Amino acid sequence: MAVIDSPAIPRKPAQVNRQARTAWGLAGPALALMFLILLVPVLVAGVLSFSNYSLGNSGFDWVGVQNYERLFTRSTYEKMFIATFTYVVTAVPISVGLGLGAALLVHSLGRIGDIYKTVYFLPVMATLLAMAIAWEFMLHPTIGMVNRTLEMACGTWFEVIPFLANGCADGFPLWLGDRDYAIWVVCFIGIWQGFGFNMVLYLAGLTSVHRELYHAAEMDGAKSAWERFRLVTWPALGPTTVFVVTISCIRAFQVFDTIEAFWPQGGGPNKSAYVMMFAIFEKGIQQNLIGIGSAITMLFLLFVMFLTLIQRWLVERKVHY
Amino acid sequence: MTRDWWKHLVLILGAIIVLAPFYMMVSYSFKSPGEIDRGIGGFFGRQEMMIDPRCVALRQPGRADIEAARTRFPGQDDAGVQAALLAETEADCSMRPAVFNYSKAFTEAPLIRYLLNGVIVTVSIFLIQIVVALPAAYALAKLKFWGREAVFGLVLFCLLIPVHAIALPLYIMLAKLGLTNTYAALVVPWTISVFGIFLMRQFFMTVPDDLIDAARMDGMSEFAIVWRVMLPTAIPALLAFAIFSIVAHWNDYFWPRIVVTGNRDLFTPPLGLREFKGDGDGSFFGPMMATATVIVTPLIVAFLLAQRRFIEGITLSGMK
Repeated sequence: MAVIDSPAIPRKPAQVNRQARTAWGLAGPALALMFLILLVPVLVAGVLSFSNYSLGNSGFDWVGVQNYERLFTRSTYEKMFIATFTYVVTAVPISVGLGLGAALLVHSLGRIGDIYKTVYFLPVMATLLAMAIAWEFMLHPTIGMVNRTLEMACGTWFEVIPFLANGCADGFPLWLGDRDYAIWVVCFIGIWQGFGFNMVLYLAGLTSVHRELYHAAEMDGAKSAWERFRLVTWPALGPTTVFVVTISCIRAFQVFDTIEAFWPQGGGPNKSAYVMMFAIFEKGIQQNLIGIGSAITMLFLLFVMFLTLIQRWLVERKVHY
Repeated sequence: MTRDWWKHLVLILGAIIVLAPFYMMVSYSFKSPGEIDRGIGGFFGRQEMMIDPRCVALRQPGRADIEAARTRFPGQDDAGVQAALLAETEADCSMRPAVFNYSKAFTEAPLIRYLLNGVIVTVSIFLIQIVVALPAAYALAKLKFWGREAVFGLVLFCLLIPVHAIALPLYIMLAKLGLTNTYAALVVPWTISVFGIFLMRQFFMTVPDDLIDAARMDGMSEFAIVWRVMLPTAIPALLAFAIFSIVAHWNDYFWPRIVVTGNRDLFTPPLGLREFKGDGDGSFFGPMMATATVIVTPLIVAFLLAQRRFIEGITLSGMK
């Protein structure tokens, strides 16, 4: 303890050098893995997307943009884009909206509200594949709980609802087997699983809204609950909303488990739930069409990066609507 | 309270929908096939003794069995002995539906092995993530070196790449190395957690420099500082990250589905359940739901015991 090395005094070059060397030593493994596991694969996918490579074949040809051309011309991929965007555009706004609604209600109830918080968070913790199988049973056309419950309403005054009346007369939907319902069921399960996560993020956001703001708004004449929400809560939750929407979008793009569990082959009736992740899995892994799989991968990465960049841009502008 | 009744009404309706599949999963795991088919028996089912048809079919008394058992049933003809043997088998093969479902879950497939694989994979992923990320985070937060900004920029860029999205090229690389169908394939892609580096770096920024300088004066190497000074201060953040990581990888289905093909010894719990579903016929709804319950339970119980920590951990990504 003889020499006191205060941080204020500039260090000698030798010491700086040594620190730089240790620093690189400490960060080295992480850097190497970052390159090998994250950056190299992106390059590999980028390169292979211009080829007709498949595993096990000795050679391959460069095919130019043919893979990308197929993505935008074949009807299979048209269905893929429709399914993916239907899912994202449906599941994201609803799960964010429900998350916000649940958070507002739970927050306003104080401590009793914590019970609901626990319950709504359960699907986030549960293995999605297991819950998808549970839902599949629930939606079973004849012995499932959903159609059984709907049947109970037959013959009561509930039958004024056209959907129920039709169901009672002609039988209730097949749900997963019906191409008009399949993607919506997948959306529903996505929302069911994800909105609790959004709720918890919004609850964290709500605790940071200052009480004085509400008093101030009230003095300014914001009497109704809606006015207070519009003038205080919503703007204060701006950053949370940006984050919640982005993360929900990224998760929505990655939907896979439910679809593989329901339809191991083909992505739903008439490919109505043929989302991008499933397409990568089916084309790239199962059918060994690496070129086209890589092209979908690149497009997928493009979407996700674009979304995240928008988010970062909004955060840097310190969004308050 | 009375003014809030409509809020409770809405939230309770929501809770019913949220809980319905859990209710059904646990309830079916107790019921007999007949009760599941007819939708009767309430939550627990009636738990009447049931006969396992497969067990009876396997132990169908043959000619030799009848000869051997003749001494035990004196004065009966072949048909009589056979009937008596059959009755014995049925008695041996009958059990309560709940016992039937759960014992089938563990005997029809090596569920213990799957659970063990799940633990091995999630724990090794977490440990390697920490071993890799912690020193890097320390270097980025507390050491001055040329290129630090570039390295941090790279970390921020890599945050944009979800590992699931690059599953195909990763799979090709692993296949080229001959690593598919190994534990390594299940673990390797997750060993680098850029999010972990980012998170720990943000945390280490808040640790006072004096603490590190004091350790340096005591003659500790930088490497020792990481593990003996920084690690203990970071326990709360690490715990949150642990929950985040373990929940994600215990529940992950996509990646194991890709790299493990057919080798049952490497199945993680979701893969095991998927296989169960694949070859299940109608009478196996009960055991399948028992498997699902067994797989889902550990995390749910842990969550209920330490809710605040879990919510912190899972929403960690919200702290960016």
